[in-house]
Amino acid sequence: MKSALQISNDQKISSSLFFFVVTAAQIGVGIHGFQRVVVKNAGNDAWISVILASLFAHIVVFIMIRTLALYPSNDLYGIHLDIFGKYFGGILNFTYVLYCTFAFYSVIRNYIEVINTWVFPNLSQSFIAAALLILVIYAFTGGLRVLVGVCFFSFMTGLWILIILFMPLEYAHYNHILPILGNDLKSIFKGAYSMTFTIVGFEIINTLYPFAKEKKKVQKYVHLALLFTLFIYLSVILVSLVYFSEAQIERTLWATLTLFTVIKLPFIERVEIIIICFWMIIILPNLCLFSWAAYRGVKRFKSINETTFIWIFSIFIFFANIPIQTRTEIDQMNNFFAKIAFYIVFIYPFLLYIMASLKSVLRKGGSKE
Amino acid sequence: MFRGPKKNVTNTNEQQNKKEPDKVPIPPSQTEFLSKLKETIHSPADLVVKYISETVTITFLDFLIDGKTLNEQILPTLEKVINTSPKVIKESLLIAEVDLVAELNQGILEMLIGAVLIHVEGHSELVIAKISSYQSRGLSAPENESQVIGSQVGFNENIATNISLIRRYITNPNLCNEKFTVGKDTRTSLSVLYIDGIAAEEHVNTVRQRISDLDILDLLDSAVLSELIDDNSISMFPQFLLTERPDRFCDGLLSGKVGIVVNGSSMAILCPYSFIEFFQSREDQNLRWPIATFIRLLRFSAILISIFFTPIYVAALTFHYEVIPQPLLVPLSESRAIVPFPPIVEALVLELIIELLREAGARLPTKVGQTIGIVGGIVLGTAAVQAGITSNILIIIIALCALSSFTTPNYLMGNVIRILRFPVIILAGFWGFLGIMLAFCFIMIHLLRQSSLGAPYMAPIYPPRWKDWSDSFVRLPLPLIRRQSVNSRETHTIQNTNDSFAKEEKVIE
Repeated sequence: MKSALQISNDQKISSSLFFFVVTAAQIGVGIHGFQRVVVKNAGNDAWISVILASLFAHIVVFIMIRTLALYPSNDLYGIHLDIFGKYFGGILNFTYVLYCTFAFYSVIRNYIEVINTWVFPNLSQSFIAAALLILVIYAFTGGLRVLVGVCFFSFMTGLWILIILFMPLEYAHYNHILPILGNDLKSIFKGAYSMTFTIVGFEIINTLYPFAKEKKKVQKYVHLALLFTLFIYLSVILVSLVYFSEAQIERTLWATLTLFTVIKLPFIERVEIIIICFWMIIILPNLCLFSWAAYRGVKRFKSINETTFIWIFSIFIFFANIPIQTRTEIDQMNNFFAKIAFYIVFIYPFLLYIMASLKSVLRKGGSKE
Repeated sequence: MFRGPKKNVTNTNEQQNKKEPDKVPIPPSQTEFLSKLKETIHSPADLVVKYISETVTITFLDFLIDGKTLNEQILPTLEKVINTSPKVIKESLLIAEVDLVAELNQGILEMLIGAVLIHVEGHSELVIAKISSYQSRGLSAPENESQVIGSQVGFNENIATNISLIRRYITNPNLCNEKFTVGKDTRTSLSVLYIDGIAAEEHVNTVRQRISDLDILDLLDSAVLSELIDDNSISMFPQFLLTERPDRFCDGLLSGKVGIVVNGSSMAILCPYSFIEFFQSREDQNLRWPIATFIRLLRFSAILISIFFTPIYVAALTFHYEVIPQPLLVPLSESRAIVPFPPIVEALVLELIIELLREAGARLPTKVGQTIGIVGGIVLGTAAVQAGITSNILIIIIALCALSSFTTPNYLMGNVIRILRFPVIILAGFWGFLGIMLAFCFIMIHLLRQSSLGAPYMAPIYPPRWKDWSDSFVRLPLPLIRRQSVNSRETHTIQNTNDSFAKEEKVIE
């Protein structure tokens, strides 16, 4: 296996940090308004869809780690090259790099949209994009250690939002949840499918896995992280369901942010403005991790310096921000991204696992002879 | 990382051989010796030459040596032994440090430190009697790091006194002391101190390496040394601690850090130091734990207040009026109504005034300094409000920020916290809360990128070493605190005690 990675011990990160990485990677811009799409499909049983989606994510993570564990030290890109050969593997790698870039782009675009809508209607998009990209460049050039640090701090400093999240319960109508399972199974599954855009992010383990110090422990922490994000998504959707009526949710673009508008603290009003600005630290890990994942892939094609890569990448993203302007376009882009993500993150790992295990069986057979 | 190509070694004797390859032999003849000596050191006014007998001459620099020892020990002995070799003189002198040298430049160097050179006619060897005396001020209370409970003694400028102070605190055969000489023009001596078995070997090696790689002309203070040898000299944040408290220094040594004491400087260096430790005071150990914890939390919130409170005011008043609740908005707008400037100008001007006051207070003699406080605080403050240049509320906020920044127990870090506010205020003035968040993220990433002696700067927060959190933001009861903390842990002691430490220890370096 020529594609195996050589990672020295001081580059590796502790497995327990995978918890923070996966949590930080999953929570991003999707959580601002996933209620609308899920409720549209699953009605007041949307919370069941959330649980289903998370359950499915658990299965996918299990398969992903099984696939990665077939190799002693290799990431998704290396596995592609090993199984499919240089050319077809290269095409698959390229697709995955594009996927990561697309994810990066969609996060940054959605965040700019939220800022422009809620806080600064007149602030230029290019400025926000440039500011965010400079932060990403600064973090990225610090290496993986700094990127994981950003995830850790994003998690730790963002915990206070959870407390605020439950404040609207004051005005809750709990009967909104009833009747449970009033919608048919198909629409609940459809709701789960529409969670894709929100729930993706955990696929970062595809590239990060070889950097774990104790690989056996990774699985535990990733599952824990998925449970934690399930807790957050479930809280958000339940609070939204009991606070809004179904029809209201379907008409609210950013239901989570609208939830925050009703909160009045004795010293602060309009908490959502602070939270939206604060959200920068929550999306920063997303941006860092996706650009890093893309970098790992590009490195397979051409050995390129980290600094050069991130500058080229940032300039590309900066100019890509210009064509998409309206909310409809952003919505279309999100739907398109969700569709791609569904196949790449949720379907493809099963296929890859089958191929990888076949290959390993063949290899073992070959070596015996 | 920002160090240039590695330069040649500057370690005591080796270095001399390298720099001055022409070894000057000592002339056996007395007159020739004296003329050569005077030529080399440009016959200074304080050079004393005394002819003991026809053959024996002594030379020394006045004020550098201990006259009592010279009169009571050296002179009587030299009068007794006449017509002998330097070897006999060396053996008959009852002084602790006596040496023979066969090379003039080395002898002169010793004389410059405070030795008496004894020359015997017809011999090309010198006897060196080291009886240097050092004029220094007595021990006094540390002025910059005062503390209510705890020892009230500070380092002074004499390296010997400082090391003796440290040895009085730590009676331990494992306390190592390595001597270095740095600076071509000053030949400043410094000592690297650490406790063998507690300090990590790699840290000691790094310090040794960095000091011997120095190629500088002069070194007058330890603060300069710490900037020269730390990991990132460009960063605003100090990575090594400068302390004038022997107890804090010894506390550091005992928790496995490496210390450097520089001659002529009353501040000693401790490294590696992590960000969070700059906000801890030695006194926290001396107080009961709930009180110490409360004070620590107070200090950490003071950092946040100090950096972000004025920017939040500026951002809220410039862009986000809707964030302020109505009962607060009324007095705010009343006090702002007559102010002719936008909030950012108002805040920057007031912050600048506070900085000016602080700087004036620091430079002026103590007696005048108090007047400055009164003039600045009361006269300027009230006058500015009455004249309608600033709002009342901003004065309160600025004072609060200034007060908070002074709670940092370390002067260097306190400065950073104060200065850091200015860019944040400017960002807040232009882009509101978004600007503040940009600054926050930038500071966070910057801190994450730093290291101290190669160890992570943000430890134990990140990489998370949960066991060390008991002595970080909080201080739990002493039995719960592991002595060797944060970045300095010798690996083998850990393997002896607990294997799981070792696993968690270097999570990410």
